Amino acid sequence: MFDLMILFSRYLFLFYIVLFLWEAIVYIAYEQGGYLGSPSRAVSIQKGLIIWIHVTAFLILAYEPGAFFFNFKTLAVALAGLLFLLLSMVLLDKFYYEGCPLIWTGMLFLLDISLIMLQRLKPELAVRQLIWMALGIVMMLFIPFVLRLIPRFEVFEYVYIIFSYALILSTLLFGTSKYGSVNWLKIGPVTFQPSEIVKFLFIFYLASVFRKRVELKELLITGTLSAGIVLLLVLQKDLGSALIFFMTYMVMLYISTSNEILFFAGMGAASVAATLAYHLFSHVRVRVAAWKNPWSDIDGGGYQIVNSLFAITTWGLLGSGLTKGMPNSIPVVESDFIFAAICEEMGVLFGMGIVCLYIMLFFRGILVVIRCQRRYYSLLAAGVVTMFAFQAFLIIGGVIKLIPLTGVTLPFVSYGGSSVLVSIMMIGLLQWVNVYCEQHELGYQNTEQRYTEWGDNSHE
Amino acid sequence: MNNMKRSAQRIFWLITLMFFLLLATMAKLTFFDRQEISSNAYNPRLNYVDNSVKRGNIRDSNGDILAESTGNDRKYLRSRMAAHITGYSSKGKTGVEAAENFELQTPHNEVLQRIQHIFSGTPVQGNDVVLTVDMDIQSVAGNVLGNKKGAIVVMEPSTGRIVALQAYPDFDPNTVAENWEMLRQDENSSLVNRATQGLYPPGSTFKVITALAAMESYSDWERFTYECTGQAVFENKVIHCYNNRVHGMVDMKKAIATSCNCYFAELAKRIGAENIRKKAEDFYFNENYPFVLTHSMSQVVLQKKSEENEIVETSIGQGKTLATPLHMAMVAATIANNGMMMKPYIVDHIQYYNGDVSKTTVPEKLKQVISVEESDIITDMMISCVTEGTGTAAQIYGIEVAGKTGTAENATGSDHSWFIGFAPAHDPQIAICVMIENANEGSAVPIAGKVLQAALEKYQ
Repeated sequence: MFDLMILFSRYLFLFYIVLFLWEAIVYIAYEQGGYLGSPSRAVSIQKGLIIWIHVTAFLILAYEPGAFFFNFKTLAVALAGLLFLLLSMVLLDKFYYEGCPLIWTGMLFLLDISLIMLQRLKPELAVRQLIWMALGIVMMLFIPFVLRLIPRFEVFEYVYIIFSYALILSTLLFGTSKYGSVNWLKIGPVTFQPSEIVKFLFIFYLASVFRKRVELKELLITGTLSAGIVLLLVLQKDLGSALIFFMTYMVMLYISTSNEILFFAGMGAASVAATLAYHLFSHVRVRVAAWKNPWSDIDGGGYQIVNSLFAITTWGLLGSGLTKGMPNSIPVVESDFIFAAICEEMGVLFGMGIVCLYIMLFFRGILVVIRCQRRYYSLLAAGVVTMFAFQAFLIIGGVIKLIPLTGVTLPFVSYGGSSVLVSIMMIGLLQWVNVYCEQHELGYQNTEQRYTEWGDNSHE
Repeated sequence: MNNMKRSAQRIFWLITLMFFLLLATMAKLTFFDRQEISSNAYNPRLNYVDNSVKRGNIRDSNGDILAESTGNDRKYLRSRMAAHITGYSSKGKTGVEAAENFELQTPHNEVLQRIQHIFSGTPVQGNDVVLTVDMDIQSVAGNVLGNKKGAIVVMEPSTGRIVALQAYPDFDPNTVAENWEMLRQDENSSLVNRATQGLYPPGSTFKVITALAAMESYSDWERFTYECTGQAVFENKVIHCYNNRVHGMVDMKKAIATSCNCYFAELAKRIGAENIRKKAEDFYFNENYPFVLTHSMSQVVLQKKSEENEIVETSIGQGKTLATPLHMAMVAATIANNGMMMKPYIVDHIQYYNGDVSKTTVPEKLKQVISVEESDIITDMMISCVTEGTGTAAQIYGIEVAGKTGTAENATGSDHSWFIGFAPAHDPQIAICVMIENANEGSAVPIAGKVLQAALEKYQ
């Protein structure tokens, strides 16, 4: 009977995510001037779906044959998670009134998937992740106050970059190694990745510089300093972060200058650098070899990717059903490979839904960039979106063997304190830009324009 | 500012494109690569047994059961006779048990079946896998092979259907778990499917490919004759005809019929190393062809700079040339099928618990390897091999047979005996390859005749 429930739940999860995405379309359609339904009702349905998926999944996870049917410990986590979700929904609406609701629901959906999968994979991590999530939300709630206290924080450009270097260099000096990369710092009982915090500083730095007109001088200085950071990350064997920082630099430069030649020249230079890195560093060669043909070295370099592919392909579109697969046979499944575990147990279609959810999030993010009239804020938002987009692409692409694997976390979903904390804070920054621009009427001349701007270039 | 918006929009489209690549890759993994990846022996999910599901049957083309499940036991009704096809499922999985594991394990209409199970107690059944193998022919092949080490492959040239796939030494799949240690250390490697995984020097059967290479790239081949004196010297290598037999003046037809080594050695010099390799590679040497059972890759080692003795040895199927019996059967089938190589297949269709048929294999063309005229010419030569040459023991009363014999020197002892061929020569229904390890000269030939006759009686 319980087997049947799990089987049925596969369809249910798929239904949840499809409806969730559909309600996002309903909301967006309204903004674009079409009408598929009430936008506020769409958001309410999305919130309801998050609660439903939470309840459904945890009922399965907590099931235990025996007198009480449920494991009380798991039920406690489920309740704590439920409380977290409900409180977040209420508080976010209060503190970020006028923030984009789709970004909130999207983020909470992903956070909930994270909780569910971690409870399934390594229950002890679910509780810790929940604590980090709560901490992240609380810290995010303070962003509007903090940023209001320092009105002209765009003038601190050098402070940001100096701190960035300090943090990255500190890992080189005092760092500990984890999963083969020397990019962890240990303070007391907490280990964290300074590169996560540097993400924040880096976006602020570039936005501060690029808000002005970008001349050769700015180009050279920012280029050199950013290349320095990228190089240091490569030296720490943190290739994923190096790529993310590089792409963020290129995209922010492109958005602020609109210069295609510069963009492609930068990409060309990066290709040369990548080829050089391939010949210089053995750890780069190992990654590429494991990507090109993991099957020739299943016990060695190809082990991770091959096991990930097994998990994704074995059960097909609908997956094995929650708790029915063998995701724990994938190495580091709780962080880098969590997407493979999602595909295995909830199905490839559900995984595709998650990919679409990310696209939806980036769409809403870019909308903030476009609507904002002040360069500085626009660039901040662009930085956040790019970081997320390339991070998500690198790890999902790596897990499904589209590109060589670089160990980065899947934003909001992978286990990792500093990752989840910084991801939530960055969404907070994006939403704050959105709210700030709306409140100060920096973004919108009038309300009509608000609904016609995207995709309609006729009045440009 | 408008420029900036346009740039941001472009970045969004770039991100969307990247994420659509992710979706496309996931679809490709699920729809195209799934079977190959998930049936890999390293996939730990192969050993996952869902006790609530009754594993499906494996049936032959007549519908007779080869493997069935009762309770938790897997019974192999034809035991050794089909062992290398069904494989085993107790210590890991091999053969069809591995390749079609997920069809066998996955119940069609699972939800419905489970509901029926609750109400009426009928078992939840995995799907049946129906093979192309005909146990009538498979048994004939098994009986004539007896306890001679070797392999027999019978296929239908026009489709690539495998009718029989026999290999000895074999094993009893019913008792693999009990005899595991013995089987694993067995010096005869009984668990290895010699028909698909055994790599042997193909000997004179390879001359067919050398002849076809000549037709393509040595324009004078029709006028080329050679005075055979039983042996010939090339650089530092002496080539003998079998038993130093003197064939006198030979052209290509006579050389194929009498299997004259000296003729082909001399011819090979004129064709050139690269052209021979290219023709062999057209026939899928040095390349993996698609097939669901684990199979080895046949190889031809020749380069532009290859020394003369290497060229000469390769042209008569010796030296570093290696081929599997299945592959040589495909070579014969290609000639029989007017030069069109078909993709070999062994699973005909899947049958659901309610008798519905699904996923019927549609014959697939691999490649037009040689022209129709070339196939006619070589068929003619292969006919004379059976009517008046080395292959007379394969004659069948009233039916014209085309074939080529082989006697391959090797490092393991006395020569391997080969026969490849097809019949009826001008309307080929059946192609065959027989390989007997360390046998007497020509011992494969009468075996091939008997199996061909049995197959033709059934299929004509």
